[in-house]
Amino acid sequence: MKDSSNNRHALVISKDYPQANFTWILSLALAAIFLWNSLATKSGEMNLFVFALFCAYTLTSIFQLFITRKMKKDLLNTGEIHKTTRRLGYVQLASLLTGNIFAAAFAFNLINKRKTPEYTFAVYMLLTQLAVIAISSVNLFKPYVSDTFLIAMGSLLLIALFHLVALILTVHYVKEYSAPRWMSILAVVLMATAVTGNLFATLLGWSLFMKSRRFDSSRLLKWNVMWEKITRNSTAVLGMFFILLMLTISITSRFTFDYALAVENNYSAILQAPSLVYPFGTDNFGRDVFSRIVFGARISLLVGFASTILPGLIGGFLGAIAGYYSNRIDNWIMRLLDILYSIPGILLAIAIIAAFGANTVNLIIALSVGGIPTHARTMRANVLMVSNYDFVDSAKALGASDFSILFKQVVPNSLAPMIVKSTLTIGGAVIATSSLSYLGLGVEPHIPEWGNILKVGSTYLESNSYLAIFPGLAIILLVLSFNFLGDGLRDALDPKLD
Amino acid sequence: MAYTITSLLQKSYKEAQGKTVVQVLLVLAGLPVHLVIYFIYLIRKKDHTHDTVLNDIRVELSDKQLSDQWHSYYVDQLIRKRTFFQENISDKEIHHLAEKLVEERKKEEITRRTDDHLNQNGIQRTTYSVYFQSLLERRHFLLCTLLPGALMYAILLLISNPFLTYIAERLIQSVLVIIGVAVLVFTILYISPFDPASNILGESATQKQTAAFNQLHGLDLPYWQQLWNALKGIATFDLGSSFAGNEDVATSIANKFPVTLTIALFSVIMAVVIAIPVGILSATRPNSFLDYSFMFIALIGLSIPNFWQGLIFILNFSIKLNWLPATYSPSNHLSMIMPVVVLGTALTASIARMMRSSLLEIIHEDYIITARAKGLSKSQMLWKHAVGNAMIPVITVIGLLFGGMLGGAAVTEKVFNIRGIGSYIVDKQFIPDIPAIMGGVVYIAITISLVNLLIDILYAFLDPRIRSKINQS
Repeated sequence: MKDSSNNRHALVISKDYPQANFTWILSLALAAIFLWNSLATKSGEMNLFVFALFCAYTLTSIFQLFITRKMKKDLLNTGEIHKTTRRLGYVQLASLLTGNIFAAAFAFNLINKRKTPEYTFAVYMLLTQLAVIAISSVNLFKPYVSDTFLIAMGSLLLIALFHLVALILTVHYVKEYSAPRWMSILAVVLMATAVTGNLFATLLGWSLFMKSRRFDSSRLLKWNVMWEKITRNSTAVLGMFFILLMLTISITSRFTFDYALAVENNYSAILQAPSLVYPFGTDNFGRDVFSRIVFGARISLLVGFASTILPGLIGGFLGAIAGYYSNRIDNWIMRLLDILYSIPGILLAIAIIAAFGANTVNLIIALSVGGIPTHARTMRANVLMVSNYDFVDSAKALGASDFSILFKQVVPNSLAPMIVKSTLTIGGAVIATSSLSYLGLGVEPHIPEWGNILKVGSTYLESNSYLAIFPGLAIILLVLSFNFLGDGLRDALDPKLD
Repeated sequence: MAYTITSLLQKSYKEAQGKTVVQVLLVLAGLPVHLVIYFIYLIRKKDHTHDTVLNDIRVELSDKQLSDQWHSYYVDQLIRKRTFFQENISDKEIHHLAEKLVEERKKEEITRRTDDHLNQNGIQRTTYSVYFQSLLERRHFLLCTLLPGALMYAILLLISNPFLTYIAERLIQSVLVIIGVAVLVFTILYISPFDPASNILGESATQKQTAAFNQLHGLDLPYWQQLWNALKGIATFDLGSSFAGNEDVATSIANKFPVTLTIALFSVIMAVVIAIPVGILSATRPNSFLDYSFMFIALIGLSIPNFWQGLIFILNFSIKLNWLPATYSPSNHLSMIMPVVVLGTALTASIARMMRSSLLEIIHEDYIITARAKGLSKSQMLWKHAVGNAMIPVITVIGLLFGGMLGGAAVTEKVFNIRGIGSYIVDKQFIPDIPAIMGGVVYIAITISLVNLLIDILYAFLDPRIRSKINQS
């Protein structure tokens, strides 16, 4: 009796089991979407390519369901997942070929029983690299590619190969708190490959570097615990994966995609339906929507990050001062910020853009100004809490000046909630950017930006609805990723949940 | 009755003595009364008891022995301090410092002993405020000064009740914020590099035409003059005419506001009706399949841009299925469904998430365990003790998000072609039509401030914790 309740507990605390469930449900949902799209074509014919995708995803999800069942049985019977069940993960890895990242991520997770943060980094680093190659290789169907395409693709492939090697080495040699000394060389090279934007490589590199150089164990423990908490939440890691994928794409697209296809008019290919050459179709000027969306990621990320970091710095500084110094300063700063706080962010942005004109820099400034008060409030609340801690008193007793206590002791210890807040606001900034562009108040209309593409799409809603659907999906995915990551970070960094 | 009022006034006047701001306010409010009374006070102040006692005690304390005693005490202390901290201070300096400290001590001692002495003999030191307090006790005085001092008495009554004080403070705060908003928006539009005159009259306009246009709309006035006009216009609902089309801005805004507000209000109602039960269901079954699905859907709801959701709705429900009209028309109630749902989606998602986390936190509080321990059933515990308390932060969030929703209305209105305040502002910004934009933004800010003010005041009455906090302060 006691044993079975123990095993039931094993089922509840298992990290793999919920992910298994999540994966088959998601795969099935995707399969349903593919089925719907393969049947609901205007001409009444079945879209064979999409239908094949549907079959593949259905197969994946059935197999996933089978694995899930087996896992449950294993966990209930013995309290742990059998080796044979874990081997099934190798089979499930094949789903990577159909582009099912969720199943592939799960499979990688299942295969390895002992999951160090390095393993997760390595897996997602490889997945990111493969996804970038897959997305870039769509260009092969184009009538022409950019001059740097071959070189860029070649180096991407080489890096992917290197990442695969790094993954295998990580599995074999990295232990909980140590790694062989020669791995520091690997770590440095890995960090160098992060120039593509694949920041998982940076994380893995830094982690390996710390372990191979035998950094002191309390620091390693802290690092391990933090990342274990974050990586336990599979949606948070998937969110991070998608954000970093977008980042990598926006950096590598400079070399693998042809900007001309995204901005130059091509009247011989106006409003074409999605095909292999134009995966998401073309718009009313014959511009390739797929390329436009890929190049749009750049703007969305840039504006999103800039209009979060800027108010984060300004608001954080004001909030820190308001929270640490006297009541009078606090009152003045917060009352002035109340004025900003009482105007809805979008309206303030509209007013600022009305005054100074619509372009990317003004957009960033406009969105930043509205974000200052929320960041200041978050920072102030934390500083108020942290400045009551004992270490602040001891710093005072040691004779440190107020300013240095504030910025060396208090602020670094109140950054965690700021990071969570910022991650969640980036999503909002991405939505605001595209909304304003849609209204004609954001990025200049000729620049490929998701809101701009949608604006064109909205006029062809009846005849060419794909023009409006795909950029919208891109926005949702990016914002959803930031929200997932933000939620995951909050759960991991919230001291209340410790 | 009169007795209670006089004592109430007296009491609140006494309490106000500690607070400088309130004191200044009271003097200003009752300036005529205070001037007369102060004059009388100066004439009547013939009482020298205080001074004589003071002198007596001063003589008493000038006794050489006592000061020597203190002096040696301080010197001793200072030398100990020097040896402990190994400071480099000469004996002379210490001597000097000790003398200073003795002087200070003496002064303190004199005032303390004088007060003690007077208190023992039941004599109060008549300062102006004490004199005024004694006057307030008299009914006749109150009746005589009722008219000139009405403002002061109103303030006194206000600060006698912590609730009223809180509400008044909150109101003043809102008014200040609204003025700040108006100044900010006006300044932003004022420093704009764009020239409305050339935008409307065209590049070919002569200098004379431009000057005439600027004069008509008061654009040739200096900054402070224009700002004052704008603030006055906002307060008196007279914003002049818009630059383009020459329509009365206040009337246009008044015509467009109801649509936006109605849609926003329905969105809030929809959000509350859907989100609260969802939040409660999720929180009572944490980490279940239902919880995960709800929260996943909520997160998607948070991540959908309004305009895209609107476009997809139009595509599916208007174009493909032909169930609902694609654009809004006031006469057709069905046409309101899609805008309401689109505008309310993000709000619904936020409220559901907030409700869930708030309820989860409450369920793990000690008093809920107590409630369970005393034998309440799960549903009794939930509805009587948990949900009410969990709603408190949720309502604040609703108030705050209501503002964001009014701001986001601009996008939704554009998608569904609703002639509301949001799309009005967007239409006017290309010129830029300063009075129209400013009026729109400021009136929306005022609405939001009022909603939040209302929620705060409601809290003051409903939440016992806030109530006790107000009473304590």
